[in-house]
Amino acid sequence: MITTTALTKSYKQTPVVRDVSLRCEPGTITGFLGANGAGKSTTLKMIVGLVRPDRGTAAIDGRPFVELPNPTRVVGMLLDASAMHSGRSGRATLTIAARLAGVHTRRVEYLLDLVGLADAAEKRVGTYSLGMRQRLGIAQALVGEPQALILDEPANGLDPEGIAWMRTLLRDFADHGGTVLLSSHLLHEVQATADHLVVISAGAVVAAGRLDDLLTSTTILVRSPDPGALAAALQAARIDYVAGPGEALTVDVSGGRVTTEVLAGVARDNHVLLTELRPSETNGLEQLFFSLTAAKAAPAQEAAA
Amino acid sequence: MTTALSPGTLGIDAAPSAPGPIPFSRLVRVEWAKATDTRAARWLLALVAVSTAGIMLVPVLAPTSFDQTYASYLRVAALGLSILLPVVAILMFTGEWSQRGVMTTFTQEPRRIRVVNAKLAVSLVLGGAGAVFGGLVTVAGLGLAAASGRALEANPSVGTSTSYLLYVLLNVLAAAALGALLQNSAAAVAASFALPAAFALLGTASTLVSEWIDMSTPWNWVLENDWGGHVPQILVSVLFWVAVPLAAGVVRTIRRDVS
Repeated sequence: MITTTALTKSYKQTPVVRDVSLRCEPGTITGFLGANGAGKSTTLKMIVGLVRPDRGTAAIDGRPFVELPNPTRVVGMLLDASAMHSGRSGRATLTIAARLAGVHTRRVEYLLDLVGLADAAEKRVGTYSLGMRQRLGIAQALVGEPQALILDEPANGLDPEGIAWMRTLLRDFADHGGTVLLSSHLLHEVQATADHLVVISAGAVVAAGRLDDLLTSTTILVRSPDPGALAAALQAARIDYVAGPGEALTVDVSGGRVTTEVLAGVARDNHVLLTELRPSETNGLEQLFFSLTAAKAAPAQEAAA
Repeated sequence: MTTALSPGTLGIDAAPSAPGPIPFSRLVRVEWAKATDTRAARWLLALVAVSTAGIMLVPVLAPTSFDQTYASYLRVAALGLSILLPVVAILMFTGEWSQRGVMTTFTQEPRRIRVVNAKLAVSLVLGGAGAVFGGLVTVAGLGLAAASGRALEANPSVGTSTSYLLYVLLNVLAAAALGALLQNSAAAVAASFALPAAFALLGTASTLVSEWIDMSTPWNWVLENDWGGHVPQILVSVLFWVAVPLAAGVVRTIRRDVS
C-alpha cells in the first residue's frame, strides 16, 4: 500500500506540488494522470525520498520510504530510464542492483529474459534505444521482488507490442496482490492500464476515484420526431436540458434525480414519441481530462471524487 | 519476451520476508564494483599506473637531480600517484550525479550517509592499493638504477613508508571531499587542479597560507616524514582540504533533492 498525505513542494517559491494525497491499495493499478509539468514526477520522487517535501508525508505499508531497511525489496521503481550509467552493460546494471538488494543473481538472468533483453544483455546501456532502457528499467524495478511498483511514464519509448506486454505484466502483478502506481500524460494509456485514477493539474489533485465511476456518462440524449413537444414536456417536468446534438436534446443527469426511466415516463405522460433515449457518448477520460485540467486546478477537496 | 508470469516469479505471493538492512560490507563491495567495472574507470586506472611508472623514469634517467635513495624514489612515486589517483576518487563521488545513477543508489539505500561512507572506504582501499603499486614501481626504479651500476642508498624505514602511505591517502581523501561537495565531475576535477595551484600562488605572498594551508608545504612535511614542530600546521591543512569540505559535502549530499 502506498499512501501520501498533503504532499507539498515548492521550488523557488513556485508551488510544484500542492496537498497531494494518494492511496494505492494492493491489487490495484492507480494511474497518475497529468500534463507534462503537472507535478507527477516530483510527487513520485517525494514518495521514495529523493525529494524532500516542504510539508506532508508519504508511506509504503505505513512506513516512510527512508525508514525501510532495504527499500527495493518492498517497492520497485522506474523513475527515469535515462538515469543509468551508459558505460555499463544491461546485465551489469541489473547485477549491481541485485547484489545491493541482496537478491540472488540468478534473478538477473530471469529478468533479462522477462523483459526481452537477454540478447542485448552484454551491450552497453549507452547503445540501447529508449525502449530498451525502459525495459531494463522495468527489470530493475522488479529486481528486489517487491510488493509495490512506482513507475514514472513507463510506456515512454515502448513500441505498441511493448506497451501491450507491459500492461499484461502490470495487470498480472496487481492480480497477484501487488500495488502499482504509474504516471502518464497519455489518457488512453491510463485508460487501458489503470483501474483507479488520480488526475493532477498544476500540482493539485483535481479528480480521483475508480476509473469506471469517473467515466460514467452524466448526460442522456433524448430524441423525438417532434422536438418542440419534447422540450415543452421536459420544461413542464422541470427537467433541465440543452438543445443538440442536431434535433436531439441532452439532459444533465448528474444530480441522480433524472434517469432514462424518468424521461421515458415524462414522454409517455405527454404522448411524445421517443426514437432515441440513451446515455450520451463521451470521449471518456479525454473529456474529463481536458475539462479538469482546463479548470486551472480548482481546490482539490472540491473536485476530488 | 515472456508474458506468462507465475506469482512466485514476481515474488509477491511469497510471504514478505522483511529483509534486514543492507550490510555495510555489501555497500562497500558494490561501490567498489561500480568504481572499477566500466571501461572509462579501467582506462583511468591504467593511466594512473602508466603515469606513475612513467614518472619513475625521471630519477632513473636524471640521476644528478635526485638523491639516489629509497626515500627519494618513493617521493617520486607519491607525486606520480597524486596526479591521477585523486581523479578516480572524485569520479566515484561525482559520476553518479552526472549519470544520475543516484536515483538508483539513493532509492536502494536511502540513508545516504552510508553510501558516502562506503565510497570513502573504497577511496581508502584504492589509495592503499595505489600506494602499494607505487611501492612496487619504486623498487623497480631502484632496481633499474642499480642495474646501471649506480651507487644507491637503500634505506627503507617504517616511518618513510607510513608517511608515504599517509600522503597518498590524504590526496585521495581531499579529492573525495571535493567530489562529495561539488557533485559535478568537470567542476570537481578542475577544482582539484586549480585550487592547490591557487593556494600555492597565495602562499608565495603569505607564509601564513604557505605553512598552514597550501598543500605543497604542510603535506610535503608529511611525505618527507618531517613532523617535528609541524604537527599543528599539518592538522590545520588537513582540516582545510579534507575535513571541512567532506563535512560540507556530506550535508549537501544528504539534503540535495534528486530531480
